[in-house]
Order: sequence, then C-alpha cells, then structure tokens
Amino acid sequence: MPTNVTETQDPQQKAAPRPEAAKSTLPQPGRPVPSRAYPGALIVVEGTDGSGKSTQLYLLKRWLEIGGYRLHFTEWNSSPLVKSATRRGKQRRLLTPTTFSLLHAADFADRCERQIMPLLQGDYLVLADRYIYTAFARDASRGCPPRWLRNLYRFAPIPDITFYFRAPLDVAVHRILSGRPKLKYYEAGMDLGLSYDRSESFRLFQARILEEYDKMVDTDNFVVLDGTIPVNKLQKQMRDIVASKIDLKRFAPRAAEAE
Amino acid sequence: MSDQEKDKEKAVAATTTATPDATSAPVFGPATKIPTDEEASQYFYGEALVGFDPSEITGSLIVIEGMDGSGRSTQIALLQEWLESEGFAVQTSGLRRSNLVGRDIDELLAKNAVTRLTLSLMYATDFFDQVEHRILPALRSGTVVLADRFIFTLIARGVVRGINRDYISGLYAMALRPHLTFWLNVRPETAFAREFKKAQAISYWEAGRDMSLSHDLYWSFIRYQTMIKREFEVMAKRHNFLELDGEASVSSVNKQLRQRIAEQLGIRATKYTPSAALAHLWR
Repeated sequence: MPTNVTETQDPQQKAAPRPEAAKSTLPQPGRPVPSRAYPGALIVVEGTDGSGKSTQLYLLKRWLEIGGYRLHFTEWNSSPLVKSATRRGKQRRLLTPTTFSLLHAADFADRCERQIMPLLQGDYLVLADRYIYTAFARDASRGCPPRWLRNLYRFAPIPDITFYFRAPLDVAVHRILSGRPKLKYYEAGMDLGLSYDRSESFRLFQARILEEYDKMVDTDNFVVLDGTIPVNKLQKQMRDIVASKIDLKRFAPRAAEAE
Repeated sequence: MSDQEKDKEKAVAATTTATPDATSAPVFGPATKIPTDEEASQYFYGEALVGFDPSEITGSLIVIEGMDGSGRSTQIALLQEWLESEGFAVQTSGLRRSNLVGRDIDELLAKNAVTRLTLSLMYATDFFDQVEHRILPALRSGTVVLADRFIFTLIARGVVRGINRDYISGLYAMALRPHLTFWLNVRPETAFAREFKKAQAISYWEAGRDMSLSHDLYWSFIRYQTMIKREFEVMAKRHNFLELDGEASVSSVNKQLRQRIAEQLGIRATKYTPSAALAHLWR
C-alpha cells in the first residue's frame, strides 16, 4: 500500500506546491498515471444532499459565465460511458459497497481523463459539482476501507478550492424530504440495512456521511461555508473567496483582447 | 409487489440477525462480522472485503494464469471434467463474465473509445462483481472454483500501460487470495502461432495495438506479450505462482496440474483420461 504519493508524482510539477495535506496519513489524491503540470484551476463543491451546494455552484458558474471567463462545468456520475452499467446495477440492485464504489470510480476516471485533465491542461477553470470527497464520504459510510478508497482516487487532481457546504442534518434532510416524494434505493442507503423505512434510512445514512465529511475538513483543506445562511449572502462569500484565491484574469482572455 | 414492499420483506428477513434500529450494525447479506487485520491479510491481499466473513470458506479457489494461447481454457475444461468425475462441484470464472458490467466492457473494447484508467476500473468492477456474486457463494458452499485468469493479468495489463503498480495492486487489495495459482508460461512466439491457428486472426487487444508498439501485427503482439510476461515474472516470485511449462503437451501439463490439485483437495488417485467429448483437446 502506498503511503507516500510524492514518488509517483511528476518531479517537474508546478514550482509552487499545492496546499499540504500532511495531517492525514492516508494516501492523498495525486497521479498514478504520469502527467504534466497544468495551468488551469479546479473549484469543487461538496456537502450532503440538501446542503445547498448545487445552487451555489450554479450561481458561481453564472457569475463567471456572465463575466466571460473560460470555464467548464462537470457533475458527479455523469459519464455516458458508464451510465448504462450504473443504471442496470441500481435497477437490479446488483451493487455491493465495493462494486458501487468501483463503478463510480470508473465513471469519474472517464470524466477525469477525457474532460477534467485535458481542460486543466488547456488552461480552463473547471467547476465540479461533487468530487472525490463525495465518494470518500459515501463509500466509507457503506463500509469500504478508507485506505483502499484513498488509493482508488489517487489519480484525481487536487482541487484549488474545495467548498464544503455544511448544513445541520435536520435542515438538509428536511430540504430533501419535503421536496422529493420518493427516495431511490441506494440514495436512501437501503443497502446498508439501517432501517426499513426509507426516510429513516436516508436520515441515518446522511448522518454517517456528514460525519465522514467533517473528518475531512482539516485533512483535505475544505473551505467550510454555512449552508443555512441566505443564498445571496452565501454566494457573496463564495465569490469573494474565489476572487481572492484564484487569479481570475487569466481565464478571461477575450475581455483582455477586447480592451 | 412494489419496491417498497420488497424492501420491507428484505428488512424483515434481516431482523433475524440484527434489529433494524439506529444502533445496530449494518447488514450486508448474511455476514455481519468484521474480519480482523490478521484475517484480512490471510484471506485477502491487505484489506477485508466489506461485509464478508472469511471463516465461511469451505471450498478452494484455484487460479490458472497465462497469456492468450498458453492453454488456460483447454486445461480448465479438462480439470473441470476430472474434478466432477471425482465428485467435486466446480464453478468457473473468467474476465468479463459478470452480470454487472461484462457486456459493457465488451462494448467498450469493440468501440475502442475508452481510456486505460477507465478500462482498468471497469475490469476491477467486473472482477469484484464476480467475486461477490459468483466466487464467494461457491466457496461458501464447498465448491472448487477454477478461475480462468485473475487479478494478475489485470495488474500486468495496467502496469504495461503506464498505470502505477502500487495504485493498481491497491485496487485489488480486497481480492481473495487463491489457494493455488498456476502460471502457464509460454513464449510469445508459441502463443502467437496457437492464437492464429485458433481464429486465423489476432485481435486488436491481444496484440496490444492500443499501445502503438509496432504497425506490424506480429511484432506488436510479440512486444506486448513480452512486456506482460515480464510483469508476470515479477509477480511470480511475490505471489508464489506454481510455474508450469506451457510449451509442454496438453496431457503433460494436465498431469502436473492434477497432481498439485489432488494434493490440495486430498484426492488419492490422479488417473484421468478425457471423455469422448473432450478427447479432441488431448493432444
């Protein structure tokens, strides 16, 4: 088992080192497949269902789009290549914690190799609605060994900013349960056998996921945002952080040329 | 019956082993015991498979590895017949045979529209689906599982394509350790001749054409299989492969396999002549 990722990373990588995640003894995301450094930037949102992360990322995307920035938006679990297998597995309930995890990793790998990495290398700003931390939280909640999971996603580039939208369990669960009539089997964590009531199973599953997310705040440099404050105020915070941490000018070539 | 009713039935069945309240342990099928680290390295390559109790294993897992054209499938057909004649229940497994993604991988390979990492992970999904739905149930019921290839081929294929060795071995840390692993070692030149004779052609993937080793099909095959073979040599030492000379006759290789398997399973007589149905394999 690898504990040291630096030996697998390209020595000619960026001169400015990425934020260290030295507190964790688990393998960190890196590059098992040799690749060069990239000039682009990666912004990720994470959080439990109902934490408000997708709304906020959408608003951030609109802000950047209106500003004319070069960006690409990517969602978790959206690669057409693996979609049919995932759908079949879910419908027929063939998935176990291990195969659930691997199939999502295959999906992510496809997007990573064909979209995220090429775009980062092509100097794009990439926005991701959910990233590898979703898999760490969800699959660890299903019982997958954390060390195995960390290794599984070692090929993923480390985000420049990871926003973690934190909402208390009851608030997040209420947002989902009040808005959606029926929870799907795996979504509710029914495969864990926590409860045979779907809503109750969902709540217990989300509680575990929240716990797993909280564990990663320090080890993975999450920027924690309060998911309960008004949408526009939260968006203001998010935009300020993005503007302070990322040199946005680099992603707006057209505006620069026009002047 | 609605989905919800089915869930309830399942959950009710589960209450016999655990009560479905907030504090109970999760229920993954019949096993609720979490294996210790010691068990995890005894039965697995480092990490215990989620929700699986290794003490339930009563069968034997026998793996036959080797490149295309090394005679694996021939030997497995013969071994299955021999074991069944000795009264053992036999289950076979092989790559791309899972219900979950077996056909999806076939499609990906046919379209050649997949990157190496995604393909490796799809193969891993296929592997673990078979472990959990085919191999483990068989081993729990005392069946002999004959595996036509195992994680070693998958690791070798990934490594020669530039995927980090630790990374890909780590993927299979939850794979079961076989009781016996045979490696039918042949020269790539022999394998080429046998494969060509079989199909009058060499497939894109067998020849490793995705790796751009040579425009010449023959040289592409030889170079690719030589690289794979080198990876096998590394793993043979680390994982105690029982190496057999795949260039030898079918009957001689089969005899060596039977001797070692008989020892493992406690079979006294190892005499065997194939039935009429398989006689054509016995050259």
